[in-house]
Amino acid sequence: MFAFALRRLAQSLPLLLLVSLLVFALLHAAPGGPLSTYLENPNVRPQDVERLRRALGLDRPLHEQYLAWLRAFVIGDWGYSFSDGRPVAERIAERVPATLQLIGASFALALLAAVPAGVLAAARRRGAADRLTTLVGAAGTALPVFWLGLVLQLVFAVALGWLPSSGRETVGGGDLADRLRHLVLPAVVLAVAHAAGWTRDLRVSMRGALGERFIAAAAARGASRRAVVWRHALRVALPPFATVVLLDAALVASGAVVTESIFAWPGVGSLFTESLARRDYAVLMALLMCSAAAVVAANFVADVVHRALDPRLAR
Amino acid sequence: MSVPHRAAGHAAAGVAPRISARVLAAVLLLACAGDARRGTPPSNELLIVGYDREPDTLNRYSTHILEDIESCVVEGLVTTDERMNVVPVLAAEVPTPENGGVRQRPDGGMDVTWRLRPGIRWHDGTPLTSADVKFTVDAINDPTYNPESTDGFDRIASVDTPDSLTAVVHYKEVYAPYTLQFVRGLLPRHVLQGRDIDRAADYNRAPLGTGPYRVAEWKTGEHILLERVPDYWRGSEYPRIRRILFKFLTNTNTRVNQLKAGEAHVVALLPWDKFREVSAVPGIVVHRMPGNAYEHVTLNQRHFPPFAELAVRRAVAHAVDRELIARTILDGLAPVTDGAIQPLSWAYADDIRRYPYDPARARALLDSAGWRDAGGDGAREKAGRRLAFTLITQAGYAIRESVAQTLQRQLAEVGMDVRVQLVDGTSISALWFDGKFDAMLHWWHMSADPELTLFFAADRTPPQGRNINYLADDSLTRVLYASDRTVDRARRRALLQAAQRRIAELAPEVPLYSITRLDAIPATLRNFKGNPTHTGIFWNVHEWEIDPTGTGNPAPGTGQLPGHREPGTGTGEAAMGPSIAAAGRDQSAPGAGSPVPGSR
Repeated sequence: MFAFALRRLAQSLPLLLLVSLLVFALLHAAPGGPLSTYLENPNVRPQDVERLRRALGLDRPLHEQYLAWLRAFVIGDWGYSFSDGRPVAERIAERVPATLQLIGASFALALLAAVPAGVLAAARRRGAADRLTTLVGAAGTALPVFWLGLVLQLVFAVALGWLPSSGRETVGGGDLADRLRHLVLPAVVLAVAHAAGWTRDLRVSMRGALGERFIAAAAARGASRRAVVWRHALRVALPPFATVVLLDAALVASGAVVTESIFAWPGVGSLFTESLARRDYAVLMALLMCSAAAVVAANFVADVVHRALDPRLAR
Repeated sequence: MSVPHRAAGHAAAGVAPRISARVLAAVLLLACAGDARRGTPPSNELLIVGYDREPDTLNRYSTHILEDIESCVVEGLVTTDERMNVVPVLAAEVPTPENGGVRQRPDGGMDVTWRLRPGIRWHDGTPLTSADVKFTVDAINDPTYNPESTDGFDRIASVDTPDSLTAVVHYKEVYAPYTLQFVRGLLPRHVLQGRDIDRAADYNRAPLGTGPYRVAEWKTGEHILLERVPDYWRGSEYPRIRRILFKFLTNTNTRVNQLKAGEAHVVALLPWDKFREVSAVPGIVVHRMPGNAYEHVTLNQRHFPPFAELAVRRAVAHAVDRELIARTILDGLAPVTDGAIQPLSWAYADDIRRYPYDPARARALLDSAGWRDAGGDGAREKAGRRLAFTLITQAGYAIRESVAQTLQRQLAEVGMDVRVQLVDGTSISALWFDGKFDAMLHWWHMSADPELTLFFAADRTPPQGRNINYLADDSLTRVLYASDRTVDRARRRALLQAAQRRIAELAPEVPLYSITRLDAIPATLRNFKGNPTHTGIFWNVHEWEIDPTGTGNPAPGTGQLPGHREPGTGTGEAAMGPSIAAAGRDQSAPGAGSPVPGSR
């Protein structure tokens, strides 16, 4: 297991290096830069733009900028935000709890919906449950997150007044109930988006598992129907499903961009949106590297989980 | 095979959904439990502002976005009021040649004497003195600090402080906009001396000021809470509202929904296409005010040489039906304008050449200049060159896109082949800065000081300035520089008006309309005055008061709808967005809708 982990780590380092080079190149290739947003302001004189360019180190050749960034990044110096001058690591760290909270809640909801729905749909192919989950799943996948988010805001916050429309807590009134009330809408929106896809993934896995011969054997040995589906088949169907969920988690960890924007959720996603708009290269590089690292890590964890869950791989 | 599966399905149906339904119900119940209040009404205890972006820093000299929040905390020596007049705040009076505050030196320089209002203290109790004025100038001119702009400060040779309330600023040359030199306030010497201001997070996140409020809390990504200071220098009755909460809501629809749900009370810089929707929200009025900005079509003479011909530029101006655009696409919200200086400015010139909609005249101008449609393809030619160009404008703003398409159609009618190209906000700045465009539909937000040199002097093309028409007119350039070196208000006005007349004659660009500023405020808010400049609406926040009787005192123009509106036309679906409505400091905020549609 340890050797496996080491091998995976060794494989991922060149990958991350390549990602950093690509991301750096793409960011700088995009037209406009951190200074272009200042140009509209008549009080920012040309000499100011030049001065700021030097201060941010943007006057140096690109390869020098990249190497300087890489050297610092590797030893843990992520630099200072171009936008507010605070340490990049601090800016990212303060956003992580909100994002984890949102992912945790929405993934819990999505799993609570997707696992029974996926199993049911597979267990009774072309039955009412299968048709229903297919329909709901298609709708869930097709609904744009920003649209669903705004509709839920209009219904539950504006029309009914049951829930706050956005934000993470009421200022000064952030007890547990208040925080949960704020969490409901963004978590539901994000959950809908994932649950729909996951249901279909699990349904396919389950169908495959239920077609295996050992399932028929288990049934023949007199295992109860419940046991056949929930113990024997689900155990086989879960590993690939877990991989999907973990990879989704890694992607969302780098920012539920739209959901966070609509619900003014102070997570990593809204930091990414803001930094992208301001072309805050320092924050963007760090965020994108974290995101790449999260995907690599999730892949690794998925492999480990896969091995743990699937007895065939454990050998 | 299918039999056991089917049977198994029954078993599954029995257990799993019941569990998950119970958990779901529990979560929802818990979440919806408690007082399901629908926001809180605005009161003198708490006013909630839905703000479209989080500030980068609250240091007024460092920030690249509007100083709305800062202006509640850090006061300038002066501010600009709702009519763009410069009025004293921390200064006892605005220095002028008449009151002896401004003296021109024989060596061509200028001395400005600022007298501070006595008895003012920083929020920590330290007296505000002329040493803070000197420190501010020295800090900004110190190469180790990176303020947003050193404009004007770079012309200051030194500052003398003959006594604790008097600062004499010695300029190397005559500098007409001197009154606004300290509009962004002062940096407190006793806090920042000897420090790296760029990294002084304690100050930059909760600046020490003299204003009616101090920063009580900045919760990153969520809000900034301001709290009244107990001994405000204008008197203990000010400010009247105890706390102001700025919530960061980048999504335009979310801001509007918060207004509707009573979770926000004020939304500054409301996009135009939200005007009707928000006007209908009970308890909310939309304050309308002409802003100090104008939308226009820049004609780049260097990149598209036919624009160097006066006849072509004038033909473009005559071919555009601006009244129609204002009445239909703009829903009557923005008045047609004829130049860079708007009627609310003291320097505005009314007696200039105008270009009424007259396509026949446009065609005649082009005919006489030798531009003829010989090929019969609808576009005129001359010496083998077609009168065909690309009009760029910022993507993502339905109103701008509609205006661009209208221009395309109207110009086609006089024989110009226009291609419209939409460019994203950051990229468009780079394009115009490099002069890589033929024509551009955009706006400038002008400084409260009516300087035109930066935009029209022959030597102020990028990177030296923003003359992106690449207009080169010697007589105009001379007048413009003379206006910068004239302190006397009447003489400067005469020079600026001469410049406006000359610009109108030359038609280097096609002015379309003034940018109207819309701010949604509670109907119960009294003493709200608004502001057309970068100063922002909070310049008189100490006077704001929620009228407990609930009637309020809305300013003139509030919530009125224009009379003209053609049936079947509207302002479009997408928000006009911050880049039109917001005041030019930070073009970067995402507008309405999702920044990355389709992603999660």
